[in-house]
Formats: sequence, structure tokens, C-alpha cells
Amino acid sequence: MERTKVNLVAGFFVIFGLLALGYLSIKLGRVSFLGGGGYLVTANFPSVGGLKTGSNVEIAGVEVGRVESIGLAKDYEAQVTLRISTGVKLQDDSIASIKTKGLIGEKYIRISPGGSEKIIPANGRIREVEAPVDLEELISKYIFGKV
Amino acid sequence: MTRTVLRVAVSALAAVACFTIGPAAAGVPTDQLKGQINRVLKTLADPDLKKENRAKDRRQAVRRIAEDIFDFSETAKRSLGTHWNQRTPAEREEFVRLFSDLLERSYISKIELYNGEKIQYAGDTVDGELAVVHTKIITAQNSEIPVDYQMYRKGDRWLVYDVKIEGVSMVSNYRTQFNKIIRTSSYQELVKKMKTNQDEFRERERQQTRS
Repeated sequence: MERTKVNLVAGFFVIFGLLALGYLSIKLGRVSFLGGGGYLVTANFPSVGGLKTGSNVEIAGVEVGRVESIGLAKDYEAQVTLRISTGVKLQDDSIASIKTKGLIGEKYIRISPGGSEKIIPANGRIREVEAPVDLEELISKYIFGKV
Repeated sequence: MTRTVLRVAVSALAAVACFTIGPAAAGVPTDQLKGQINRVLKTLADPDLKKENRAKDRRQAVRRIAEDIFDFSETAKRSLGTHWNQRTPAEREEFVRLFSDLLERSYISKIELYNGEKIQYAGDTVDGELAVVHTKIITAQNSEIPVDYQMYRKGDRWLVYDVKIEGVSMVSNYRTQFNKIIRTSSYQELVKKMKTNQDEFRERERQQTRS
């Protein structure tokens, strides 16, 4: 009798441990179940240089979503799909810009909200975008521009 | 009888022709933009307006043309972003005026420096009510500066609401600046700042014309 009780407690403990481990890996790995919360919007950029799946999407420095996927659209543009938290409304004149944290930090998407009455629906598109400025290209252009 | 049939056929054909020509003519944002840019270039090349003391007339002429192709109120609205909704109609009107003055100060006065740079039109992409016209400015040093005009359709006209130089958006730039000023002080402070700058500019201009 005493033995069964000990075994039971040990069993529960193991199960609890496994559940905790599962929870941790989901939380830390930022795995989203069944598509996760929020809604998807897309944005086409001439170039995404350095942006990765999982990069942050921020408004005023606050994380409001993540980059779900990056693919090639027609005309060789980069099509970025963003997952935006439910409750965050984006006006159709919102601007999505790819920015760098600090001088050489990671890339993220900054959305500056607009003043339009129209809201971008789920699976809609952010039409106003700004690609990252390629400093190297800019510098070389103005140094070597003179032929 | 045959004549009536013929007449009907001809008018039907005419209607079809009108229908096909109509949207096509309006659907070419590049043509409309090009027309206005050429008008600006002509104004700048006008020897009569090139005289020293006519800089102001010249700038006003350029601004008038700019008003035909730019929608300053749309640009102002987009630049103010979320703060636009909180403004009263009177405040909006005032802001649009101050904003157009700001653009005139910062861009139209720069246009005076135009020195025969070439403008290349690299096609446009129309997407529903919005379009982007890609252009390149070729400087005397032979370097290319990409300038994209974001336009939207208003009836059968296409109007510019944003300009991207080297991929950097003008609206985005002003939106960030305005937002910062409004968040750290207030909208009233922003208006005051814009008014002071405009007054200073006018004062400088007056001194220049006098001297």
C-alpha cells in the first residue's frame, strides 16, 4: 500500500516535470500553436536586407507582432508576412519601415500609425513601406559617383 | 433604315472608343507627373524669371504648378498620422497651410539650385487607387538618385502624396518628427514652431529683396 502511494507521487512528479518542460520550450522557443494569436498582414519591400523570420514588429518601441514569413513576390520584391496582435489596429496609411537597432544591431519592423479612418483588415496589406537604407551603397555612390 | 443602323453602330463604336481611351488616359500617372515636371523645368528655364530680384515670383510659379500635382492636404494628413483625427476642421485647415509653407521653404526653394540635371522616368506600378512612379535624377557627376512619387487617384487625376528619395519617405520623416514634438510638448507647440519658422523665412526674404 505504502509503495503504491510513493510510486503515484513519483509518477505525478514526472508528469508535472514534463508539462513544465513543454511549457518552457514553447514559451522560450516562441512556438505558436495553431497559427497563434493575432492576425496576418503582408507588406512588400524592395529589399529586406537582414530581416529574419521572427524579427520584432514595433509601434513606439512596443512589440506588437512578429515577422511570420519572408518570401519572394512577383517583380522580385520581398513579401513579408507579419503577425500582429489582436487589438492592435493599423490604419491603411500606416508606414512599415525596416529599421536597425542601434548602428549595427538586428533589423526590426517599425510601424508608424497613420491618420486614416480605414483599418487594414486581416490578410490585408500595408501599402506604405520603407526599405532599409543601405549605408554602404549610399556612401559608395557618392564617393565613386564621379566618372 | 440602313442609315439608322449605321448611325447606331457608329455611336456604339464611339462609345467604346471613349470608354477605352478614358481610363487609359487617366491610368498613366507617369504622363501626368511628367507633364507637370516639364512645366516646372520650363518655368525654371524662363529667362524672364531668372533675374535676380524675381526669385520670389519664380518660387510662386513653381508652387502653383506643384499644387496641381501634389495633394498637400493628403500629405499633411499622412504626416500628422494619428494626431490628425484629434484636430478640429479649423485646426486641420491651418495645419495644411503651415505644412505647405514648410514644404515650399524646404523643397521649392531648393529647386532654384536646379542645374540641368536630367530626369529619367523608369515606369510606374499601378495598384488599384494607388500608384508609384519611379524616376531617376542624373546629376552632373553622373550619379543616379532614385526618386519615387507615390500617387493616388482622385477622379481622373493622379496626385502625389509622398516622395521617396533613395527609398526614404518624406511623409515618414515628418511623421516621426511631428509625433516626437507633439508627444514631448503639444500640438500647439508644433504649430507655434512652424509659424515662427515661416515668419523668420518671410523676414529673411524681405531683407533679401530690399538689399
